[in-house]
Amino acid sequence: MKPVAFDYVRAQSVAEAVAALTSSGGEGKVIAGGQSLMPMMNFRMVRPSVLVDINRIPGLDRIEERGERLHVGALVRHRMTASDPVIGRHLPVLHAVMENVAHLTVRNRGTFCGSVCHADPAAEMPMMTLLLNGGVHVASPRGERVVAARDFLLSSLTTALEEDEMVTGIALDTLPPGTGWGFEEFARRHGDYALAAVVATMEGRDGCARNVRVAVMGVGDTATRLPGVEAALEGQRVDEDVIAGAVERLRAEIEPNSDLNGSADYRRHLAGVLAARVFRAAWTRAQEGGAA
Amino acid sequence: MSQADLSVEMRPGLVGKRVKRTEDPRLLSGNGQYVDDIKLPNTAHVAILRSDQPHALIRDIRVDHAMDVPGLIAIFEAADLEGEVRPAIPSSRIKGYYATPYWPLARGKVRYVGEPVLAVVAESRYAAEDALALIEVDYEPLPFAIRQVDAVADDAPLIHEEAGTNIIIAREFGRGEVDAVFETAPVRVGAQFRMTRKTATSMENRCYLADYDRRRMAVTLWTSSNIPGIVKDALADSLSLPGARLRVIAPDVGGSFGGKGSLYHEEMLVCALARKLERPVKFTGDRLEELTASSQAFDELIDAELAVDEEGRFLALRAEVIGDIGAYSIYPWTAGLEPVQVVSFLPGPYRIEHYRGRVRGVLTPKPPTGPYRGVGRPSSTFAMERLVDMAARKLGMDAAEIRRRNLIDGEEFPYRTGSGIIWDKSAFMECLEAACAHLDYPALLERQKKAREQGRWIGIGLSCYAELTGIGSRIAVAPGMPINTGTETGTITIDSTGSVIGAFGIASHGQGLETTLAQIIADELGCALEDIEIRQGDSSLVPMSTGTYASRSAVIAGGVAIKTARVVKTKVLRAASILMDVPVEDLDASGGIIRARSSNAAMTFKELANAVYMQMGRIPHDKREDLTGSESYDPYLGTACSSCHVAVVEVDPETYGVRVTDYVVAEDCGRIINPMIVDGQVHGAVAQGIGAALLEEIHYDDEGQLVTASLADYLLPLATDVPDIGIVHIEADLPNNVGGFRGMGEGGTIGAPAAIANAISDALSPLGIEIQTLPATPDRLFRLVEQSRATHLQKGQ
Repeated sequence: MKPVAFDYVRAQSVAEAVAALTSSGGEGKVIAGGQSLMPMMNFRMVRPSVLVDINRIPGLDRIEERGERLHVGALVRHRMTASDPVIGRHLPVLHAVMENVAHLTVRNRGTFCGSVCHADPAAEMPMMTLLLNGGVHVASPRGERVVAARDFLLSSLTTALEEDEMVTGIALDTLPPGTGWGFEEFARRHGDYALAAVVATMEGRDGCARNVRVAVMGVGDTATRLPGVEAALEGQRVDEDVIAGAVERLRAEIEPNSDLNGSADYRRHLAGVLAARVFRAAWTRAQEGGAA
Repeated sequence: MSQADLSVEMRPGLVGKRVKRTEDPRLLSGNGQYVDDIKLPNTAHVAILRSDQPHALIRDIRVDHAMDVPGLIAIFEAADLEGEVRPAIPSSRIKGYYATPYWPLARGKVRYVGEPVLAVVAESRYAAEDALALIEVDYEPLPFAIRQVDAVADDAPLIHEEAGTNIIIAREFGRGEVDAVFETAPVRVGAQFRMTRKTATSMENRCYLADYDRRRMAVTLWTSSNIPGIVKDALADSLSLPGARLRVIAPDVGGSFGGKGSLYHEEMLVCALARKLERPVKFTGDRLEELTASSQAFDELIDAELAVDEEGRFLALRAEVIGDIGAYSIYPWTAGLEPVQVVSFLPGPYRIEHYRGRVRGVLTPKPPTGPYRGVGRPSSTFAMERLVDMAARKLGMDAAEIRRRNLIDGEEFPYRTGSGIIWDKSAFMECLEAACAHLDYPALLERQKKAREQGRWIGIGLSCYAELTGIGSRIAVAPGMPINTGTETGTITIDSTGSVIGAFGIASHGQGLETTLAQIIADELGCALEDIEIRQGDSSLVPMSTGTYASRSAVIAGGVAIKTARVVKTKVLRAASILMDVPVEDLDASGGIIRARSSNAAMTFKELANAVYMQMGRIPHDKREDLTGSESYDPYLGTACSSCHVAVVEVDPETYGVRVTDYVVAEDCGRIINPMIVDGQVHGAVAQGIGAALLEEIHYDDEGQLVTASLADYLLPLATDVPDIGIVHIEADLPNNVGGFRGMGEGGTIGAPAAIANAISDALSPLGIEIQTLPATPDRLFRLVEQSRATHLQKGQ
């Protein structure tokens, strides 16, 4: 379990990092927290010719309010996402989600953007990026582009990132105060990759659910939004009948895989169970928020 | 027999006290020295090319490209060591057993994924792995049966053709008229139980460093082993070296749990290569190798049936067991170690007149099964305790009550079980009562009833067991094994400065034996604890040693410590009598000071040592003797260590997640040396048992590949999976053993899987579900619930 020999570049700026990636001819890899990359290198599953270390690039380690959006820089650690007061104000759901991300030592190093780039189908950050209409800011020799999360996350461990590109940050929607939210995750052990997780947000106006967002992970090749399920809840009084309908819809829409930790049947069952809990919690919070 | 309480703390002396572990300052401050910490100049590093085939002939090996890698020293295959290494033969007296020879590298054929094929030696492990990646091996795949049910078939492909069969070991135990009793028994329960394959997963991976001394033509092996003495004896034979030129040292060892308790290919290999290359050779295993190529555990299919009368009395028990032993019979314990103990311990701590247990150990293309904390008994206790609860449920009887009616008690000790094990007197019944009292069992049942009314799935599970610990020379620790595991030798020496050095053949790897043996010596010899240094884990310390395993060290080395300390104390007091001019009978020693009872005369051990060794004439020359003693101890028989576990679980009725909410262990380990260490052993072993019950499973797919090859897939229990564990100590007298100690390092792992399986079954009892396979994963529970609901639906129609 030793990596193949590689070169190491400590970039001082985004431009320098991109230049290093470019000159590596597609063989380079960006390292921020390294919590997924280093094990994969040690298994020799990934063999970069050069590691481009972005940890010293100034300005990437911040969470900033940019208009209606929050910008999460490429060096924002899980620990920060889990505790930052700006996140707490605008996206309390994200705090709740982050509690399920691995363990303290991993959270101290791993980054939000790195996890999205890794695109594990059972990781929280890609799911939250989808839920919050994330825009992935990408730098390359051709300048900067912003890729919508749904276009960025292609499949398991695969993104739309080109070989000479690096992610500098991800912009996320903020949610209006009082937005109801629910999140449930089930893993074999606390902090493990989820067998299934469901997240939902909704506003409660005039006794109905509005702007409903639903996303799932661990039950397919990638985390995913579920528009059909959102539609089943949108504009509804979220009572048990509506929840049952939405859960049925959810179970029909997902295509879980079978693996050692859970069969597809179990995962489908589990996702529905979690979804019902999530919808109830989101609805309750939405009503409380609407009243406040 | 008494329940330990505050009186433990009131005892004079250190035995029985919560003495802080003397190992901990070095281990907790990062000053421990593990094998990988030992850096010798000019060390060569080995990477092992391992088979990626479960069963195949090696047709061709091409190393050309690898030879160009900078830093490569050499690449060895089995043929390169021919004539230099003899195989280790795990022999046994069991009839019909076939001992698979154990070589450092595969010879012509591979038998499991992960088996060592080539040794790539380089200046660094990095270079060795770079070279390894360029080697091509052509295999000719052979057919194989990966599951034990297929491997026992007459026409199954043979793993070792020379054996003529895959069933290399078979045993039967029993007495009475089993089948006749079953014919007429009023109540019968039975099922097929399966404890899936596990592995021991220490924090420190296996690591070996061999050094060759050209001047003495001697080999020193540093090994992360808990059996350095056995490894030494095996290597002396394998390398044809006299013992004087072979030394095996186990320095600080970061856990074993049984996984470091057998001879490994790589241990043979680094020694052979160090001698061949005339330089130090190191192998540092990584986690992948740990999971693919260390010994594994359990994996038995147990078809078992229990016959009971209307009063819940056990009448007869019978079982057919197939143990999946993997591709080799492990050295030195043999393939009998794990599966044979399942049938020898199946009757448990119960009175069962009629018993028959049959076992077959079958070869499959997997790493061999070997020692794992609890050996055999986690499986046997799981099966037996499930049967007990199934019988109770059928009779409508309380789970504690049915056990109360069947536990061996009072004048029945010593009791010979149907398989021939003899239980000396231990607190079987007292443990049951104490565990129930600790949790307020009646109140617990009431709480459960209320929770059920609210739709919550709460279950209570009991498990009672006994194990044989501190086994003397009457029987080998592994069935039929010709190595004497029943004796232990020790030397205690007071040196010229007053230091007390105790040297033993054991090999502590986390048990705190340096502390507990020092406590014993301090009490017996009367010296100060801080003046004692315990040396262990080194084959050069004693003439013959085996190591630390099978819950033997506190019992046997503890006994040696007492016997030897008494010898040395006699010498101390004799010398003091002369030096102080006080009759020996008037002297005693404690806390490092020798005092006269009838006067204020006193001298320290330091003064005494100085006088004896340094000051000419203080003691007449014909009376002077070194302050040293060497004794051995053999308890001859083993002693029972018994326990009762109670687990309370809550199963989520929707996700089928299981949470262990309450846990209590009542245990009898005889006289307690250090309650803090005993508690630690219980906590750790219960955590390990929770892993076995809920999480851990080594899984091979139908292609013979290991699917659980990382700790992301082989799930160990985390702190968040382990509840607070209540412990009740009961100290049953043990008059026949020096010291009165019973071994207790393994018990938690034995009791916990059964208790949790019973608790889950209890939680799911409204659905008629009985847990038969561990771990009880959410996916397995989901399927059981779905099946149960489908069955009920059918019945309803």
